[in-house]
Amino acid sequence: MSDDLKNSSQTAEEQKGSTAPAWIFALTLLLLFAGGVYFDHHSGWFDAQVYAPYQSSDELEAYQPKSGAAAIFAEGKKMYTTTCATCHGDDGMGKPAQAPPLAGSEWVNASSFKRIEEIPQLGLGGELHVAGQDWNLQMAPMGAMLSDSDLAAVLTYIRHSWGNNASPVTDADIKAMRAAVAGHPIIGGEAGLKAIKE
Amino acid sequence: MNEIEKKYSAIDASCRVPLLVLFGVASVWLIIGLALAIIASLTFHKPELFANCPFLTYGRVQPAANDAIVYGFAIPAALGVILWIFARLSESELLLPLVPIVAANIWLVGVLVGVVAILIGDSTGFMWLEFPTAGWILIFIAFLLIAISAMATFGARRERALQPAHWFLLGALFWFPWTYGTANFFLVEWPVRGVAQAVINWWFANNLLFVWLGLVGLGVVFYLLPKISGRPLQSRYFALFAFWTWVLFTPWCGMPQGAPVPSWLPAASTVASLLTVIPLISIAIVFVSTIRGVSVQCKGGPYCSAQIGTVLFLASAVMLIITGCSHCGRLLGMTWYMPAQTYLQIFGFFSVVICGAANESLPGVLGFELPFPSFVRWQHRLFIIGSVLFLALPLAIAGIIAGIKMQNPNIPFTEITQGTLNYLRVSSAGFLIILLGSLLFAINVFAATAIWQAKLAKSIMASFGTAFEAEEVKS
Amino acid sequence: MKTGFRIFLGAFVAFGLSWCGFVLGPILQLGTLGQTTVLNSSDIYPNQRPGDATLGLQVYRSSGCAACHTTQVGQHGVVCDVVLTGAGNNPAAVNKLISTLTLTNLTKDEADAISGQISTAGGKTETHIRPIGPDIERGWGMRHSVAEDFLWDNPVQLGSIRVGPDLANVGMRYDLNWQLLHLYAPQSKVQNSMMPSFRFLFNVQKIGATPSPDALQLPAGFGPPAGEEVVPSEDAKNLAAYLVSLRADVALHDAPFTTPSAHAAGTQKK
Repeated sequence: MSDDLKNSSQTAEEQKGSTAPAWIFALTLLLLFAGGVYFDHHSGWFDAQVYAPYQSSDELEAYQPKSGAAAIFAEGKKMYTTTCATCHGDDGMGKPAQAPPLAGSEWVNASSFKRIEEIPQLGLGGELHVAGQDWNLQMAPMGAMLSDSDLAAVLTYIRHSWGNNASPVTDADIKAMRAAVAGHPIIGGEAGLKAIKE
Repeated sequence: MNEIEKKYSAIDASCRVPLLVLFGVASVWLIIGLALAIIASLTFHKPELFANCPFLTYGRVQPAANDAIVYGFAIPAALGVILWIFARLSESELLLPLVPIVAANIWLVGVLVGVVAILIGDSTGFMWLEFPTAGWILIFIAFLLIAISAMATFGARRERALQPAHWFLLGALFWFPWTYGTANFFLVEWPVRGVAQAVINWWFANNLLFVWLGLVGLGVVFYLLPKISGRPLQSRYFALFAFWTWVLFTPWCGMPQGAPVPSWLPAASTVASLLTVIPLISIAIVFVSTIRGVSVQCKGGPYCSAQIGTVLFLASAVMLIITGCSHCGRLLGMTWYMPAQTYLQIFGFFSVVICGAANESLPGVLGFELPFPSFVRWQHRLFIIGSVLFLALPLAIAGIIAGIKMQNPNIPFTEITQGTLNYLRVSSAGFLIILLGSLLFAINVFAATAIWQAKLAKSIMASFGTAFEAEEVKS
Repeated sequence: MKTGFRIFLGAFVAFGLSWCGFVLGPILQLGTLGQTTVLNSSDIYPNQRPGDATLGLQVYRSSGCAACHTTQVGQHGVVCDVVLTGAGNNPAAVNKLISTLTLTNLTKDEADAISGQISTAGGKTETHIRPIGPDIERGWGMRHSVAEDFLWDNPVQLGSIRVGPDLANVGMRYDLNWQLLHLYAPQSKVQNSMMPSFRFLFNVQKIGATPSPDALQLPAGFGPPAGEEVVPSEDAKNLAAYLVSLRADVALHDAPFTTPSAHAAGTQKK
């Protein structure tokens, strides 16, 4: 009968020379990295709402079916970001020497949208008083190329974001406005704006 | 006998009764469990067979079979072998030997209560945790009792440094009560809400069947290979690395892909399955380095069992980590491929290794050769042939075919089920072959017990006889 | 000794991490889940199952139905379909545009681009969200199963293998009577079924003065001997009620889709 202990342990010399090979550590690190990348892409980062096949909460949000007001709002936000945010800012706070703020603007928040809807259609230039500040810039008719529903969505979004709380604008309103102001020139400052009947 | 042999002979003798009781309990439950498994698989030959008998309906017999095999056979056999290994590595007689003897009987009752409860309809409904309170508490207590004896024996070791087998087996003694207690507490005693139950269930199942059976099986293999061949493990550090990576990564496997839980859970398991490649490579290299160049005549004996068991361990582990990949997991996750992997793990790997270890221990522990030495290699062969050729292979094929067909919604489901039937019928033969092997194991255990009891009786009678003679001489 | 303690500590930490991740974490995240609202509605989901269905869940557990059936639907992906809801002022132009476009099986970005094109041409569109996957197309569900679907169940019986079909939405496919007949004689309802009969859930009794109103109308070859009728026990009725209550056909935030679905909800494909 043999001595178990003597057999199961290596001699001191054998132990000194032997160790786990370096490549297995390298492989472990490599697999840890690969695993980390996989987890980053597929785990939804512990979000309780993200189930396979969705891979992130952003993706889940994108695939929420939107109906009615929510759809219009989302559409308006998208159009705003691509068309208006460069000058007016994602937060609607405007940029000095570029564009006045839309957040808290009395023109945006007016109960009637008749004035604000013509601005993106015709453009606006000259002196304007917005939220206690004087502005004197030129705005091109950035909304003229948008479809009726897109422009309506953008205006609805602007009138209901960043603390603004004014009524929505419908496609029909835009259509009527476009028919009424066809061929009109750029709006001339505050005077021109005030000339528009509310 | 020289000094060393005398020392080990005393150590082995101290393990005799605890091991005979534990192996006796284990071998009986293996037979019962396999018989239940055969009954369950008869449904696929003739579904009408038990229509009027609620106790033998598939949904009750199948979990009863699984639990009988794992809780009735696998764990008690493991504990018996652990006690023996700890005693030998400590160079100390088994301490508190009465405790495992009592515990084995408590264990027997616990499994009996649990299996009967399942058959009469009181199952908890959780896979691998079907035993209701009365059953699982008895098993839990019995495990702790046996662990106490094992730890006492471990604490008495003269050589303080730990051996590779120690790491794995101590880990196992520690991890089972933690997982078993947690899972039963949060599922049976104080149930958590909703799918959290399923998550804990999956966590436990993985930690029992993959992590725990792996810890015990590897610990036993890393003890047996050096012991029998006379060559130490190559190398100790690599084995330590394998141990660390095993306990770090494998407990995170087990969440099924596509499960109705937030995706971070299956994603974590995918990463864990990928990382499990590391301990598997390490174990493979340690194994191959240790057996290389060693010529041991084994012929189906314990050395063969340890070797083939390790190969089948690696095979079943690879089968499992494949399902960690999101695509393969969704393809195979709800098919017969999963039971095939589980059976390969339990029968092909674990049962082969643990019965090999039991057969290695018994001659020394008994003090005489096994009554039927040829049964050892026949049991070894029957286990391997039954589990690989007639159980794992056909069920895995059935699962892969069904999984592929299920991706096509135009194939009616009944057609898919019909396609698996022949493979399921072959699996009945697989259970039967393993049952024959387990009968051989049981016969050896019980015959040896009977012979030992007869010898014991004879020596008691003999000492009475000398006492009478002394009396007569006196008077 | 030092090594022994280090190994114990390391194993404790390793095991403990998995316990935190897969036991504690899910208990805190999923075990505290409450009801949610149906998408684009104020309806609460899920409602508790009716009383007999809750008892039926216990029969389901006790009979081991989860050994062969799963109750979880998977989803491989999600696609968008763009649907025209108004032709606008210039229907001819819109129709001409549409004939050049693919409107189904789009990603969200593709769908947005296409609906933008159509709306520039004057048309109005709606984007429909549609789950895809073999389970969905087989008619086993309208969307993948989520944690909220199992909120009220104890024990949760997700199942692990599909020896029989998935049952997550079986209440949308079969009615109470079908379930009772199927439990008594599965082969009478599904030819070549390998499901064992659950005859022990029923009582075969002599027909009294009048036949029992609960008696099953079984087809020829599956019925009881002449003069006898098959009556479901309480367990059978509760189990059937539970099966009929299994449906998860509402859209939720974590499982969105556009309802009502043009593709049949719960077709008879098994």
